[in-house]
Formats: sequence, C-alpha cells, structure tokens
Amino acid sequence: MRYYEALGLEPPRLKLDAADLQKRFYARSREWHPDRFSTRPPAEQQTALEMTALINDAFRTLRDPVGRAEYVLSEHGLEASAQRGKDVPADLLEEVLELNMALEEADGEQAARSLAQFEAALAALDGQLAGLFAAWDAAPSPDNLQPVRAALNRRKYIANLVRDARKALETARES
Amino acid sequence: MAYSDKVLDHYNNPRNVGSLDKSDQNVGTGIVGAPECGDVMKLQIKVNDATGIIDEAKFKTFGCGSAIASSSLATEWLKGKTVDEAMAIKNTDIVNELSLPPVKIHCSVLAEDAIKAAINDYKAKGATRKPAAGVEA
Repeated sequence: MRYYEALGLEPPRLKLDAADLQKRFYARSREWHPDRFSTRPPAEQQTALEMTALINDAFRTLRDPVGRAEYVLSEHGLEASAQRGKDVPADLLEEVLELNMALEEADGEQAARSLAQFEAALAALDGQLAGLFAAWDAAPSPDNLQPVRAALNRRKYIANLVRDARKALETARES
Repeated sequence: MAYSDKVLDHYNNPRNVGSLDKSDQNVGTGIVGAPECGDVMKLQIKVNDATGIIDEAKFKTFGCGSAIASSSLATEWLKGKTVDEAMAIKNTDIVNELSLPPVKIHCSVLAEDAIKAAINDYKAKGATRKPAAGVEA
C-alpha cells in the first residue's frame, strides 16, 4: 500500500502511534524536499516533487484513524461507495430515521440530552473500532476487515447524528 | 459546487413529505441508506387494489440537498404509475431530470433503491392481501 510504503510503515497496520507517524513524516519530508534536488537532473527533481506530494497525502490520510481505515478498506475493494447500502442493517437505518425525526421536534433540553447520548454512542463505537483494528493487525485477513467496514458504516450515521444534534441545540439556543 | 434550479426547488419545496401507515396491507415501505455520507431515506407507496395504480407516495429523507430532491422527485413520478411502471424508473432518469453532478449520482441510486425496496415490500405483503381485481387467486 503506497501510503504506508511512503512513510516506511510496511506491513500496514490499522493501529498507528501518532507521535511515531509525525516523526516519520518529518524525516521523509526532509529526505525528499525539492530544495535538496535543485541542482539534480530534471528527472530526479520530478521524482522529488512526486514523492513530496505522496508523503503529504499519506500523512494526511493515515493520521486520522477513520481516514486510515477507509484507505485500507478501499485498497481491499471495500470502499464505502461500493456498498450501495447493503451493508447497513435495516434496523440501524430505522433507528437513525426515528432519532432524526425526534431531533427535528426537540427543544433545547431534549437536544442536549440527545447530543450527550450520541456522543457516548460514538465514543463506545470508537472503543469497539480500536479492538477491531487490533484484530486485523494480529491477523490481516478479509474476515477481520469486514467488521471494520460494518463499524465504519455505523459510525458515519452516529457521527451525523452528533452533528445534527449540535445543530438542533444551536437552533434551540438562538430562538 | 452549485445545485441545479430543479434540485433547489425540490429542496426548498419538497413534495410529499411524510409517512403512510406501515402496517396497511396496501402500503409498501422502503428504507435505504448510503454509508459513505450517512444519508437515510424512507419512501412509501400506497397502491389502489382495484386499479393496481400507486395513488399515494410519501418520503422522509435525512441527507444532502440532492438526496432530498431525488426522493421528492421520485414520489412525484410514482403517483399515477402502475407498480410495474414504477419498477422501471432508473436512477439515470433522476440524474437527467435534476442535472445531478457525478459526485451526487449516488443520491439518485439511493432513490432508485428506495423505490424498489418499497415495491418489494408491497409485493411481499401480497400473500396476505386480497387479490386485486382481475387477478386469479
């Protein structure tokens, strides 16, 4: 996987240490900095530019756990856009619909309660996600990647509920 | 990225927002979602037993403007159609009507999926429903 390779992180792991990632990013950026190639042949200058761009993209993607997992999933043909909703359980969709409708009618107090509830659900899911990351790192098989896809699908809905509850709370405070 | 006038029109004045009785034997309900953006769409149809024509369609969508417009347009198109005609609605019809850009095509796919899910739900209820006129039991 190019992003992991670019930062010298092969074999790819879903769990990464943020400080180590940053250190590698700085080191690689220095190594490939275009200024250091200004007197080199054009082909080498071009390579330095391309490497710098790749290193930037790699760092931006891998430093965020969700972005990182989405990258690994897409490298395995499990990108969210290829799912066509079939990987989201019907009861979750129904629940999300109900929660959204309740939020539309909520006053400030109810919105605040919902927000706390959704934030707790998001934190719980992130805990679960960390466990799934560790499982794939220990045994990187497709069987261990599918649950990550399912958890991220769920996470997107809960993250949207958190966003919408914040908005509802703001609206309630303004009125 | 700017929304087309038609998308804005449906977004600002959505048609047929609401719910039908899910337990009604003549109502088909489809709930679908797009995990990449966290959209959720509920689309319902009510079919007239005697004529086989969809005489009511309602939707409720939580998502972006294009998702709301796609489902709003779908309910407009569904009314007055037979179930078979409704089954033939393609996401590309919605894309063309609303001039959706490539990044929003999945919204039209979602609407097509919702139509099909609602029709399938209606058909699945057929086993317990009185046969429609002209259809042998």
